[in-house]
Amino acid sequence: MATTKVASTESRTSQGIRVPSPTSLLILPTLVVVGFFLILPYLNMLYISLMTANNQGAFERKLTFENYAHNLTDPFIWKVIGLTVQLGLLTVLISLLISYPAAYHLSRQPPRRRGLLMMLIITPLLIGVVIRTYGWMIILSDTGLINQALRALHLPAAGLMYNSTGVLIGLIHIYVPYMVLALLGPLQAIDPDLESAARSLGASRWNAFWRITWPLSLPGVLSGSILVFVLAISAYIIPQLLGGFVTITMPILVVQQVTDLLNWPEGSALTVIFFVVAVVILAAYARLMAFFMRGLS
Amino acid sequence: MLALHGISKRFHDVTAVSDLTLQISEGEQIALLGPSGCGKTTTLRMIAGFERPTAGRIELATRDITGLPPERRECGMVFQNYALFPHLTVDENISFGLQMRHVPSSERRTRVRAILERIGLKGLDRRYPRQLSGGQQQRAALARALIMNPKVLLLDEPLANLDAKLREEMRFYIRSLQREFRTTSIYVTHDQAEALVLADRIVVMIGGVLQQVGEPHEIYERPTTIEVADFIGLSNLVPAEVAGVAQGLADYRTAVGTLSGLARDGLGVGSQAWLSIRPEHFRIVREGVAESLGSKPNHLHGTVTDTAFLGNLMDYRIEVGSGLRLRAQGSPGDAAAIGERVKLTFAPQDAWPLPKTPNGHD
Repeated sequence: MATTKVASTESRTSQGIRVPSPTSLLILPTLVVVGFFLILPYLNMLYISLMTANNQGAFERKLTFENYAHNLTDPFIWKVIGLTVQLGLLTVLISLLISYPAAYHLSRQPPRRRGLLMMLIITPLLIGVVIRTYGWMIILSDTGLINQALRALHLPAAGLMYNSTGVLIGLIHIYVPYMVLALLGPLQAIDPDLESAARSLGASRWNAFWRITWPLSLPGVLSGSILVFVLAISAYIIPQLLGGFVTITMPILVVQQVTDLLNWPEGSALTVIFFVVAVVILAAYARLMAFFMRGLS
Repeated sequence: MLALHGISKRFHDVTAVSDLTLQISEGEQIALLGPSGCGKTTTLRMIAGFERPTAGRIELATRDITGLPPERRECGMVFQNYALFPHLTVDENISFGLQMRHVPSSERRTRVRAILERIGLKGLDRRYPRQLSGGQQQRAALARALIMNPKVLLLDEPLANLDAKLREEMRFYIRSLQREFRTTSIYVTHDQAEALVLADRIVVMIGGVLQQVGEPHEIYERPTTIEVADFIGLSNLVPAEVAGVAQGLADYRTAVGTLSGLARDGLGVGSQAWLSIRPEHFRIVREGVAESLGSKPNHLHGTVTDTAFLGNLMDYRIEVGSGLRLRAQGSPGDAAAIGERVKLTFAPQDAWPLPKTPNGHD
């Protein structure tokens, strides 16, 4: 039994030396790219974060934990982390509320119309984030369309830009298509007869959705949430343009340290801290969802 | 019990079901039989409440249910792909309906246990549907519908996804359940064998139109139209003209001589008709074999052009002259070979005429 299992993934030479099967070589290019452009830079960053800051060069090769020590005890840093995570979670929640009905509708359309609607949802991705965010600035700024309209109606002005509200609007707008895409696959895979069966067994439309379709769509909710959360907390341009350095998120702080203050060890330490926070949140979320999806596999 | 009054369903410019009227009495087993796309599934979905008829009325136990949502109809449904909830266990699947009806959990448990035992899924209640075989999934789907004591049980091609041997087995299994539960049921199928085994009455639908309603032997032996004859079983259709009628029988003038068959109302002398003869109704004797066919009518002589061994039967194509080729089946013992001359005969009672309509088969 064991030998046949082994034989299916790798072959053996007559001497019994293991040779990877040709198909396992297909992953090699990806491994190289990930290794050189993701893992190595991360390790390098980890290394720099343990070096001493120096105003002559990027950093001084002298081991120190100071970068972590003072940041981990700085309430300002924790406030920024809190705000970034809060923006990320709100972006996930609101884009989920917006995307789910749309994805559900799409999943119940005949293929041709679904393709058309899908194109409408994806089209905004063809325009750069910067341009779209400038578009929001025209709408949201103090002299923008919304406030002009409010003024014309003699209503008090609304502060929609250079604060968290503006950033949140921008983030949601950019990431809704990703959420729709992530939800659509799993929703489409659900047999519409399942809801019919539930209805014939006495479930109302709402109950049929809540007891059958919703739990079956959780894998899509999970992957969509993770994708959007990760993208939202690492967004730079949107919080920069719509937050105007008043709403400061972690990426803004990191870029400030690295490019403006040329303090590489400080920026690296902040990145590593935030990376750990994000991983902990994602792991907790995945555990929670796994509990709800225990019947699926 | 269940009455369909002139129901129709149009999807955009396609008419799926047109003006269907049908009465079904309490405890009756109905098979809705027809080729794919004949509107039989649409009819079932209208009864279940998944589709709203474009016209007409549906009554269940004298109550008009045409506009009622599916959850208030008390129709049980078994789907072709079973539609078992993949994230729920067998037990949770079967008790789902009871839960929706707020049946207390202690009663739920006893009822689920009883039906699991009856349906032969005892001990599998903690499994998920994907951990069951096709036949077990089928049983679970039946149990899930039956536990609700539905007024009508609707089955949409429930055996279509099973392999041939299991299908045959389940056919008889479903029949035993029907007898036990005595639930009025409507069984949609394109498989005539299923319909013949399971139904008290068969409803034949072709092209969205009801063709014939009758008991299985009636449908098989006395199809009213050429479409029904063509769909149910195998049939030889011989073009004929009525030459004379006497005592329930008639003489038919055909390309291969005068044949004697059953007479039928509305087919007087001179009428054009198709004479339908089932392949199994022929008696085939090899030419030269000293066997007297007696002085009975309906003697034909022909040449075997093709044969197929079907195990319990020998299937022949026999050229009987004037370009007429008949399909005949006989016992495989002493089979005739291709090219051999044979004699064919059939009883007049086995030749049933079908009216020739101007727009029917040529």
